[in-house]
Amino acid sequence: MSCHEAVTFMLKKEEGKISFSQQLSLWRHLAICRLCRLFSAQNRLINYAMKQRHEKLIALSEKEKREIIQNVLDQNAFS
Amino acid sequence: MNQTLPEVEKAQRFKDWVLTYSDMLFGHAVFRGFDHDAARDLVQDTFYLAWKNMDGFEGKASVKNWLFVILKNKITDHYRESASQAAVFVSGHSTQFDSAGHWAKPSYPKELTVNLSEQQDRLDFQTILEGCSAKLNTIQKAVFFMKYMDDLESDVICRQLSITVNNYWTILHRAKVQLRACLQKNWLLIQNI
Repeated sequence: MSCHEAVTFMLKKEEGKISFSQQLSLWRHLAICRLCRLFSAQNRLINYAMKQRHEKLIALSEKEKREIIQNVLDQNAFS
Repeated sequence: MNQTLPEVEKAQRFKDWVLTYSDMLFGHAVFRGFDHDAARDLVQDTFYLAWKNMDGFEGKASVKNWLFVILKNKITDHYRESASQAAVFVSGHSTQFDSAGHWAKPSYPKELTVNLSEQQDRLDFQTILEGCSAKLNTIQKAVFFMKYMDDLESDVICRQLSITVNNYWTILHRAKVQLRACLQKNWLLIQNI
């Protein structure tokens, strides 16, 4: 198994979409490949951090809001 | 028959909606990976549709929920549109692997010391994650956010974006590998300051 394939299997494993024999070859690959073990650790970190994302309070400027109002009302006038 | 509002009153109500809800909608679009201009355009498109359908809005749902439904549909449309061009960049081999599919030397994954239960690490990591996910292309963002934020399964994502399962895995693979490289690079940078 190449590292490229190992990454695919790791991603499929997250969704439970690999067969038992694929799981075995992934384990075998991880046992001998330090780089893929490091990737796997980083992958878990990313997945965890993605869940922690939350919406920030950000605002449009007053000018942009006025433009939205203007654009919509103008567009309507010509439709 | 619906009671139609006089034009002036309707326009006034519309202005109130924009002033009250545009920041929330904008924040959501940015959260979904759109840059400032694209997010503002999505908000404008949302309000355009809301304005056109104002007479049909009977107040069964809250205005806020109604606007969010419109925005979310707009976002999915946008994602689907970018997916229709996905075949172009799904081909070709990632530069992070050599021709045999092993990690290319400049892309070797490294050990990162990150402790997400510590506030500083968490904030730094989140900042870098935001910056790096902003660099993904539209279809990568679509797949990535639908999977990791909405917890959607691959078959649902494929259906919504009209992409094949094979393309899905290729896009996700590319996105993950690219995001990881960006995170590692930036994390090591701030660790060495």
